[in-house]
Amino acid sequence: MSLKRELPTSTMSGFALSGILVLTILNILLQNSWHVGTRAGDELLKLNATEGVANAVTTVVVYFRGFDTLGEIAVLFIASLGIGLMLHSNTQCEIKAESNFMLKTASKMLFPIIMLFGIYVMVYGHLSPGGGFQGGVIIASGVLLLLISDKSFEVPHAMIVALETFAGVSYVLIGLIGLLVIDKFLGNFLPHDISEMGLLFSGGIIPIIYIIVGIKVGSEMSLIVQNLIKRCENV
Amino acid sequence: MFEFLNQAETIKIIVIVGSMALFFVGLFGLLTQKHLIKIFISIAIMETSLFLLFIGLTFKKDFIAPILTNGQTTFSNMNDPIPHAMILTAIVIGMAVLALGVSFAIEYYKLTGKTNIDEMTEMRH
Repeated sequence: MSLKRELPTSTMSGFALSGILVLTILNILLQNSWHVGTRAGDELLKLNATEGVANAVTTVVVYFRGFDTLGEIAVLFIASLGIGLMLHSNTQCEIKAESNFMLKTASKMLFPIIMLFGIYVMVYGHLSPGGGFQGGVIIASGVLLLLISDKSFEVPHAMIVALETFAGVSYVLIGLIGLLVIDKFLGNFLPHDISEMGLLFSGGIIPIIYIIVGIKVGSEMSLIVQNLIKRCENV
Repeated sequence: MFEFLNQAETIKIIVIVGSMALFFVGLFGLLTQKHLIKIFISIAIMETSLFLLFIGLTFKKDFIAPILTNGQTTFSNMNDPIPHAMILTAIVIGMAVLALGVSFAIEYYKLTGKTNIDEMTEMRH
């Protein structure tokens, strides 16, 4: 028996087929991405100048695609609900690993700074890179630090429910008020003057909606983190 | 010597080939690994390659991020904000799907004590 094993024909043909596919996709991507004529983003950038918000990505996410962001938050809520149904139980849940002295001390020092940074990213989302999603995830990372440092810490469930309900209801309410005032769902009914561009209080409803998104994402992510990290003895 | 790396077309080729390589790394992991959590991580790697491709394809030379800073007053010479917003959506949805999948894997391990997909024979008659 020779040392060299013969490759079967099906393996060889599979390799050849995948090679041809890779070359085809690469060719399509390399050929068609060069000459980008006029972009849809140019029109949006022109429209964005009338809204008085310095960060164009925020305007696209919250205002031009505001209805999609509402659906995205619904998807995040459904994922959080599924994880809660799957992993939560009424018996005592706890983390098995022990935390040491350094982690306990450092978490007490770091937690306020992380919270402050998350709220800053959330509130300044219409002026600088950042926004509700990023700020919410930063706040959830602070909650994760508390969870791994203190075994007896639990995310207050009633507060999370209240925050989440408030955020979801007020998002829809702001959209409905816009529908009543200027005949457009999520219309910008608050004053948004272009001369105020770059200030903290500018852009009408856009920073308010992004703060609401941040509250909702932060509370949902905190619950997801707590459900994933705690082990329940229910079997 | 390395000035050719600064050309827009070179950067575009690097973005396309690199994100395709990352995509196939994820696909290889998806097809060869048997552990449930490793499979979900492979799917996350494939998603990341698509994010990089989307952001990289909208890159234009001498264009800046679509945010007014440093005394600018007009939205000119800026990159397209739409792919950034789309990828922001995609990252959040991908994170939610990954967390849900991992929680399914944890619950399956708690119920059966198995993580290998070859040993999943509960539904087989």
